[in-house]
Amino acid sequence: MSNPTRTPFYGEHLALKADMVEFGGWQMPIMYPDGIVQEHLNTRLGAGLFDVSHMGRFIIRGKDGLAFLQHVLTNNAAALDIYRVGAQYTLIPTETGGAVDDAYLYRFRQDQFLLVVNAANRKKDWQHFRQFMNDFHGLELLDHTAEMAMLSLQGPNSREILHNIISHGQLPEPRRNAVSTVSISGTEVLLACTGYTGEPIGFELFMERAHGPGIWRRLLNEGATPVGLGARDTLRLEAGLPLYGHELGVDTDGGEIPILSCPTAKPAVSFSPLKGDFVGKQALKNQFKDLERIINHDCQNLAHLPRIIRPIALIERGVARPGSMVLKEGNPVGVITSGTMAPMWLMEGDGAESTMTDNHGLRAVALGYVDSHVQMDNPLHVEIRGKRIAATVVPFHLRSDMPPYARPILHSHMV
Amino acid sequence: MKEISELDFPEDLYYTEEHEWARVTDGNVTIGISDYAQDQLGDVVFVEMPASGDQFKKGDAFGTVESVKAVSELYMPIDGEVIRVNQTLEDAPELLNQSPYADGWILEIKPGDASQLETILNRDAYLKMLKES
Repeated sequence: MSNPTRTPFYGEHLALKADMVEFGGWQMPIMYPDGIVQEHLNTRLGAGLFDVSHMGRFIIRGKDGLAFLQHVLTNNAAALDIYRVGAQYTLIPTETGGAVDDAYLYRFRQDQFLLVVNAANRKKDWQHFRQFMNDFHGLELLDHTAEMAMLSLQGPNSREILHNIISHGQLPEPRRNAVSTVSISGTEVLLACTGYTGEPIGFELFMERAHGPGIWRRLLNEGATPVGLGARDTLRLEAGLPLYGHELGVDTDGGEIPILSCPTAKPAVSFSPLKGDFVGKQALKNQFKDLERIINHDCQNLAHLPRIIRPIALIERGVARPGSMVLKEGNPVGVITSGTMAPMWLMEGDGAESTMTDNHGLRAVALGYVDSHVQMDNPLHVEIRGKRIAATVVPFHLRSDMPPYARPILHSHMV
Repeated sequence: MKEISELDFPEDLYYTEEHEWARVTDGNVTIGISDYAQDQLGDVVFVEMPASGDQFKKGDAFGTVESVKAVSELYMPIDGEVIRVNQTLEDAPELLNQSPYADGWILEIKPGDASQLETILNRDAYLKMLKES
């Protein structure tokens, strides 16, 4: 990919003085002049606006469209309807239960589906799907990446901001994965309550390419702030969401990571009779049985799920990075797959009553691929440049279940 | 990131090719990272520093600076023994961005051989290197 492609928002990024990088064959903003830390904090407090047009967008339609999706994806595509739940997280499985990619499936219209895949995997996914197409009739698979623009608006103010610019139609129900179709500036915009930040309130927007920049500017005028790929990564990591190439795909030794090693993948794997047989079903069933045993603390001979992805907090000062070794009682038990320092607003008060203060701090957050017998609160160490830093497995780094704020859960040493 | 012309490089400092600076005060040498280095790194979120009493040779790695996306080693401009470290950076690593030549200083050393400073870059030579890279 010698010539990186530009999204419809390329000119907007330059006008905002973004630092541009090549990512998955696209020229994308890594950050704007505010910097990654401030962009992360802006999203958690107000509303962050992300250009995610680099992601692959496939349209699937025709007589066998649903049957095809049931065969090549892990989730139950038949559970989607445009009135109640119009979107779902799903995976593109290999025959052996690993991930070709992870994806989001949308149904904005009764007669077609939209599948959003990772930018860097778009061509691979397309080739993978083509192997199965001959078994289906009247199936249309179209790559609409270039025709559509895609934005993500995330954070506590995002609902109000969108409300202010909609001329026709209703916002989706305030529920994760709800969808609706509205009109903004005279153009049709598809809205979904989805995102990759852990924010309890957030939307993804799809529109015709040419109308993208006008809508981008209206969202900024209403108070949204632009966020680049740098903060997109710290936000998803704080939320414990997997990134293909780190927590999904192949591990650092080149071995396939079983899909159900990622706890967030569990609700995306369906054994519903409606799905029938699908790619990797038997391997995923075996993984599922091992996962049930791990949940019941029966961790002997887990042939199908020897390691799982866990949030890891550093108790002592330090920053875990991908590739850092995880040790228990001095023995290697896994590896860090993603890790950074993430900023956070300090909170005041308890639970759902807690509110943000004007102060912020930093804390080390990480995800690790560790032996399945490692338990929550086991004393661990992460090896960073030859030093062993005290660490532990934690349930979450962030809570997303009490709108309007995503609330940090502190286990790490804080700066 | 900024243009070179928007960055600050005080006249009275020595600079290394790895973007540390050194300032002589009362026979001791204070060390930090340049405005260019902090701008390239972006938000500094972690600084790892040696302890007082540690001895280093010119060119030795003596610590690390981390931003959200990058880890950079720090290198000694000259030989010396650490006599003071800026502990406030542990809780306020952002000082490296906000004030790279004052509050964001990293170490103070007792130089082994202060004449080594003459072998590293002055402001003009450092600026020339930045403009040519």
